[in-house]
Amino acid sequence: MKKFVSMILALVLTMVFASSAFAASVPTIGIAQYGEHASLDNCREGFLQGLTDAGLTEGKDYEIVYQNAGFDDAIATQIAQGFSAQNVAIMCAIATPCATACFAAAEDKDIPVIFTAITDPVQAHLDEGNITGTSDKLPVEAQLDLIRKLQPEAKTIGILYTTSEPNSVSAIAEYKEKAGDYGFEIVDIGVTAQSEVTQATDTLIGKKVDCISNLTDNNVVGVLPSILEKTDEAGIPVYGSEVEQVKLGCVASAGIDYFELGRQTGAMAAKVLTGEASAYDMDYETISEYGIYVNYDALTAKGIELPADVAEKAIDALAE
Amino acid sequence: MLELKNITKVYDPGTVTETTLFKNFNLTVQDGQFVSVVGSNGSGKTSLLNIICGSLPVEGGSVSIGGRNITKVKEFRRHTRIGRVYQNPSMGTCPSLTILENLSLADNKGKPFGLTPAVNRKRVEKYRAQLADLKLGLEDKLHVKMGSLSGGQRQAVAMVMVTMSPLDFLILDEHTAALDPRTAEIIMQLTGRIIAEKKLTAIMVTHNLRYAIEYGERLLMMDRGGIVLDLAGEEKQKACVDDVLEVFNQISIECGN
Amino acid sequence: MDVFLDTCISTLTQGLIYALLSCGIYITYKILDFPDLTVDGSFPLGAAVTAVLLTRGVNPWLTLAVAMAVGAAAGLTTGLIHVRLKVRDLLAGIITMTALFSINLQIAGSNLNVERAMKTIFTSKLAMGLMGSSTLMLRKLVISAALVLVVKLLLDLYFRTKNGLLLRAVGDNDNVVTSLARDKGSVKILGLVIANALVALCGAVVCHEQRSFSATMGTGQMVFGLAAVIIGSTLFRRLGFVKGTTAAIVGSIVYKACIQLAITAGLPANLLKLITAALFLVILVAGSTKGRSKARA
Repeated sequence: MKKFVSMILALVLTMVFASSAFAASVPTIGIAQYGEHASLDNCREGFLQGLTDAGLTEGKDYEIVYQNAGFDDAIATQIAQGFSAQNVAIMCAIATPCATACFAAAEDKDIPVIFTAITDPVQAHLDEGNITGTSDKLPVEAQLDLIRKLQPEAKTIGILYTTSEPNSVSAIAEYKEKAGDYGFEIVDIGVTAQSEVTQATDTLIGKKVDCISNLTDNNVVGVLPSILEKTDEAGIPVYGSEVEQVKLGCVASAGIDYFELGRQTGAMAAKVLTGEASAYDMDYETISEYGIYVNYDALTAKGIELPADVAEKAIDALAE
Repeated sequence: MLELKNITKVYDPGTVTETTLFKNFNLTVQDGQFVSVVGSNGSGKTSLLNIICGSLPVEGGSVSIGGRNITKVKEFRRHTRIGRVYQNPSMGTCPSLTILENLSLADNKGKPFGLTPAVNRKRVEKYRAQLADLKLGLEDKLHVKMGSLSGGQRQAVAMVMVTMSPLDFLILDEHTAALDPRTAEIIMQLTGRIIAEKKLTAIMVTHNLRYAIEYGERLLMMDRGGIVLDLAGEEKQKACVDDVLEVFNQISIECGN
Repeated sequence: MDVFLDTCISTLTQGLIYALLSCGIYITYKILDFPDLTVDGSFPLGAAVTAVLLTRGVNPWLTLAVAMAVGAAAGLTTGLIHVRLKVRDLLAGIITMTALFSINLQIAGSNLNVERAMKTIFTSKLAMGLMGSSTLMLRKLVISAALVLVVKLLLDLYFRTKNGLLLRAVGDNDNVVTSLARDKGSVKILGLVIANALVALCGAVVCHEQRSFSATMGTGQMVFGLAAVIIGSTLFRRLGFVKGTTAAIVGSIVYKACIQLAITAGLPANLLKLITAALFLVILVAGSTKGRSKARA
């Protein structure tokens, strides 16, 4: 029993010590990121850049506390509540589960929440209240247009997605709605877990799709290299949904640059921090500018040539 | 009255290890009779008990108690009127419940297990008296967890639990085999006393020939799924350990043991 | 000190809410000795049903009852698969859990968030009437504490009834239950029903608290619950009078406090699970050496 008491005491003391470390005089921005993931990391780096671009200096105008939930909802909850306890000035939530947790934890103290990397803030009820941010909704039409230009003969586009990710489900719906306009047919296969993705890839290849287009689906993107291994063998080009995927070996993407998205978010946070605007009044923003990222190596391997108008705008993903 | 008629029991039917234990096995035990069963390992003693209790299905034949055919009745339902004490002392009681809780459970056998308090305060004195009868000092340990008692103490409590509610049939499955000689003696005396007091019909399987001779009105010796010796009444009273041992050795030699 | 106090309150609240789940696991793991993986499915099931009902404006307290009912049904399913179809315990749980993943998505459509305008148990008329002037954080603490207390007391009472004693007996030595002419299978099923009702209740409260359901929220909950129960029982190993339910509740709080500590100390999240595993191991080993030295003495 003595051991137990001393253990609890040690716990409490460490907690006091650790929490007092955050009692900074400058306002704190708590960044809650759902997990380690190239796109999400880019979001965070862009966010910090956005703050700097607004003329704010870390250490003088704000302090950053960064926490990562390791893709665990329960931990996201505890991170958000920790931020609330520390009375952070702003919570920056990267990805939907973190935004949900932050929004719930911030309710009491009315702390503004700035989110990013959420596809549909309205569906997630994260559009009203002391909350705003940026959406990473896919530019579906731009992607369809790009595929049509790169593969004039293609008829079918295969898409893999996780049935439980609302972002993916709504993106699939949009793809299906608009595919006809570009003369495509969508072949979609839903999975429930990451382990099912490679099997689903085989099925898509078996169905002889002309190409595969990715969403921002965490499960699917997480095992992209193994998907590409299979599609390269079968000679099927894969289109990414953002620049990181093109770097990994997708042929091209009309996609969001998450760094840019983060920067836009950082600018919004700066306005809230300086009191220029309130998160209550600001509507969430989508990125209007998207880039066309290409991987020349992958294009050559698949025998795809860039039409002149695309080549003009294209950014070499590997050159960055 | 217990009746086993034309019982057939085959282990692993349809496989290479298929072995037939019983073929047209018959046994009748009269009400109030105390039968001891001896026999070498694999002679079918425990299988016999399992068939009576329903924990072992049979391939043919019928089991009936009091004229009622129970061959197809599930094990737990047969236990409504059958009590069984096992060789392993930890089989008959719940180790993490107290003696009082164990006794309360047994006391409620045959009644509904509803949402009323498990321990009936008014019955505690009765339990205490029953434990005092055992002369093991357990009457002061009502709130002690069963698991901290010795094997002999547990077996004694198991005996009390099993015989708490009215029974048609008591089954003792080598219930003294795991105990030291002194404790075995105590449990055996207790067994004899309870069976006599409650006038129970009982079958006791044992490896101890002396117990088989001393206790009970009838003695069975089993070998390879058959009864090779069946002594009752005066014959049984005249029998001594040496006689029985002789038969026992004979069948053992035949078996090549 | 405010920061510290707030952190303590929110951590305690999390620990208490999840204690509903650890109490459920206490029944399956400690009492029934049944490794019940249904939990990873019945936890989000409770949340899914609650999220759907809350978005429709159903009375928040009623959602808790409905969640418990569907959780009970999940437990019943696992029980029937295990007892009647004779599928091994672990597999029976896995089967129900897997089926529930799809069922949860069928119920909720997809991940579902509940808008702020909708009342939860923490903003319900009853909560506001009793303590509307206090902060939401405090309301969450008091209401979850009250819920856990009610569940704990009811469970403790139940374990002292004839039916409860039979349940304890079946996990301890199911042979005794057969000897009592009771069907041990039915008693096991009953235990699974109660346990999963509690787990779904926990999912429901989490949904009220977070205003969201996500299909993957159940992942790892069984492991959490096991850890909480084992931490609790190890801490109180020497104190015989501490009830198992109390140990499960304290275990849940200690677990969540450790996570909060790791977060506050700024440990990288990718290492959190490793640290949790290490902590788990330390407590287990410390607990068992205690037991061993006692046995030797």
